[in-house]
Amino acid sequence: MKPNLLIAEKIPELRVLITPKLVIMGAVASRDWQPLHHDHEWSVGEGGLPGIILNNYTQMGWIIRYVTDWSGPQGRVGGLRLTMHSPICPGNELVITGAVDTLEQATTDLNWAILKIELAVGSRIASTAWVKVALPASDNSPSPWHCSASDWHPGFRLNLQMSQGQEDAQ
Amino acid sequence: MNNLESNNIPALVKSWIGQIVITIQHTVTVERGLWINFCASVFDSNPLYWDDAVARDHTGTVIAPPAMLPGWGSQPEWYPGKQGHSLRPMELHFLLKEAFGLPNGIVTSVELEFHEPVRAGDEVSVEQVLRDVGEPRMTRLGPGRKWTINVIYRRQDKVLLGLQTIEFLAYRRH
Repeated sequence: MKPNLLIAEKIPELRVLITPKLVIMGAVASRDWQPLHHDHEWSVGEGGLPGIILNNYTQMGWIIRYVTDWSGPQGRVGGLRLTMHSPICPGNELVITGAVDTLEQATTDLNWAILKIELAVGSRIASTAWVKVALPASDNSPSPWHCSASDWHPGFRLNLQMSQGQEDAQ
Repeated sequence: MNNLESNNIPALVKSWIGQIVITIQHTVTVERGLWINFCASVFDSNPLYWDDAVARDHTGTVIAPPAMLPGWGSQPEWYPGKQGHSLRPMELHFLLKEAFGLPNGIVTSVELEFHEPVRAGDEVSVEQVLRDVGEPRMTRLGPGRKWTINVIYRRQDKVLLGLQTIEFLAYRRH
């Protein structure tokens, strides 16, 4: 349970060595058949990329796994915004870090934690993500998964504090 | 909205802005065996995806990982009687690349809102709406443009599963 969160509380980092197998597994499992996720020669020659790249849905999969490893299964991810600054390729050691940025009370039983998460390769921030995750408001609160559809507002639209990061592909 | 008159946007593309351009009906029925492959690709042991007993207390049944939502709307690469190419996962994006003669494209930003969780047996439909098209620009990769597409995901009984906003950068290499 995470009822006593504090702003700036850090989430333990996660490190993973990205391999061709992980890039291709993620693309195929997310049913993304674009060649830049499985064909190295195409990615370099046609795409102008350093190699095959981790697709955005697999990046989201890594991010949500990172969040729910921390929150436990009662953590219900409502929204995720991902900005990709530069590619993540095989051979990169991906380091995922994050912290609580904002806390909001949604109902008497449910709080929103807005998390800022970074996916880094060495000193390069490859992607930045914001995750809005619902957590029980107290030890006695029901699971956020029991929240009614009428009380479930997972979008980021009202969170004006959130920045979008900068993309450097320009 | 951008200045459409000065952006050399083809009339067909202008007519798409704000409209549902692509609709994809049920392509694959959601099943646990498919989402387990995704869990394995990111080493995700969340019991809501794997363990019926734990899931019963939270979600009632095991559920699919939320990041897979867009994938449930992708047509198979092949199926019996297939004619021509499949609708690609973001077909509207590919139509825009063709319309502007920009053969390469990358996703620069994506936002997903998750509503009702996806479960085994669900059939997901997709609606793709063109939100806006940016001005021509020179990027590090070559001349290009940005555009934004909204996607609505629904279950077969029309229950909302999720909303997605994707920003693309399409370009032609130098």
